[in-house]
Amino acid sequence: MKRALIHAALASPAVLLALAWQYGQLGVDPEKTLIWETGIWTFNLLILVVLMPRIARWADWPAVIGCRRAVGLWAFAYATTHLGFFVIFLLGWDMARLGSEIVDRPYILVGFNAWLVLVLMAATSTRGWVRRLGKRWKRLHGLIYAALALAAVHYLLMIRSDWGWPVAYASIALLLVGLRVLKRRRFSPATADRAA
Amino acid sequence: MARVTDRSSYTRRRMLAGTLGLSLLGGFAALRYGRRFTARAGDAASPDADSLLSGGTADKADAVETDPVSRRLTLKHAATHYNNAYEFGWDKTDPVRRSGSFRLEPWAVTFDGLCRRPGTFDVDDLMGMPFSQLEERVYDFRCVEAWSMVIPYNGRPLRELIEAVEPMTSARYVAFTSVLRPEEMPGQASPFSSLDWPYVEALTIEEAVHPLSFATFGVYGDQNLPQNGMPFRITVPWKYGFKSAKFIVRITFTEERPAATWHLEAPGEYGWYSNVYPSISHPRWSQATERRIWGEGDIERIPSRPYNGYGDHVAHLYPGSKQQYR
Repeated sequence: MKRALIHAALASPAVLLALAWQYGQLGVDPEKTLIWETGIWTFNLLILVVLMPRIARWADWPAVIGCRRAVGLWAFAYATTHLGFFVIFLLGWDMARLGSEIVDRPYILVGFNAWLVLVLMAATSTRGWVRRLGKRWKRLHGLIYAALALAAVHYLLMIRSDWGWPVAYASIALLLVGLRVLKRRRFSPATADRAA
Repeated sequence: MARVTDRSSYTRRRMLAGTLGLSLLGGFAALRYGRRFTARAGDAASPDADSLLSGGTADKADAVETDPVSRRLTLKHAATHYNNAYEFGWDKTDPVRRSGSFRLEPWAVTFDGLCRRPGTFDVDDLMGMPFSQLEERVYDFRCVEAWSMVIPYNGRPLRELIEAVEPMTSARYVAFTSVLRPEEMPGQASPFSSLDWPYVEALTIEEAVHPLSFATFGVYGDQNLPQNGMPFRITVPWKYGFKSAKFIVRITFTEERPAATWHLEAPGEYGWYSNVYPSISHPRWSQATERRIWGEGDIERIPSRPYNGYGDHVAHLYPGSKQQYR
């Protein structure tokens, strides 16, 4: 029941978008709206995934960690839809052009790499892989921070003249990635030695 | 004892975290979608049916072959609710939503620089005839962002205005300056924009007096459309849309090449000439194809054409390598 509720909440932006699309309420250029919105929701969920351990600790609420996989997989779903809409609407299914766009345009290269990171994480998100990878699983899934950082760069590269939203998002990402880096340095063997 | 206190404070924290999270999500969704969901795509489509039919007056403009591909027009609702006018904001719906307090009249345009009869003229004088009698021309409008529309413009050849002020032979360029009214144009007042206001654009004098360059006072037979650059703009259909300056208050004849806003902002992205060349890729967008926006969700992917299809008329202006006219 709880699980269903969580999935429903995570799916709701997609459902709303689909409904709005169906009823012609996505404005004059629904294609562009769909690409933007799926991108924004990918970013929102990436931030949420990274925030969840903090929320769990702060509220002493371990169940939050239990939902992390669901949120991560939904972030992957939004990212894949985002890429899919880009390929369909902006490239017209021209896969050869996808290759050249990735090579030619830094913002697409960065975004595509963020997606590849999410593919890797989604593919290794099953119980089986957690078991098989053991300790390395945790390190591999620390890549969520890389995905978040890449998403921030991807968004920053879109700036033409108005930088409000991209910089707001990138600041949050920078803060979260920065806290993680600081924490790792504090607990890394090198600093531990120095402290001792 | 301490444990009990902790428990209840944790519960409160959970409640707080949950509520905060949900309200953030809800607030975000409302902000993002609220205005979109209230503006239906088809809202203003029906009253425009008559202006769609008025496309018949276009044969007046056949001398310059106004639309080489088709005479189907983009719906007025689409062309007036999806605009780039960064004066009002960067979002495509900002110009229509945030132009409510923009005063369209009185409107005066100053002609100065290297011309024999400089002066300031009211927009009605520039029209030279009642608005309803102005020529209607259907042009393909091609944005640098790789989308396009087919729009009926009301106006007269820019050449007629330029000849009236008698440019000197030393005048090699024509600079267009847009209005600066941060109190009426929220985009100009925005702290989050790196653009330099007022907006400036420029053409060579040969481009400006070309018969296709159009002094524009309305679209779809409608003058009251600040989102489309009224009361006075130019339309230069073989160039990317941002070359067609909006809200013009000053036209200056110069010998030196004038600045152009987007070219200043990012010279590597927006060339000074900015002719439509499908073979020259923009750092952000391939220009090989464009998405033709017809309205009500109808979007068609079509190949782009050199000079936006007006090459027969203008290609002779650009001898040598196209790269220098990107």
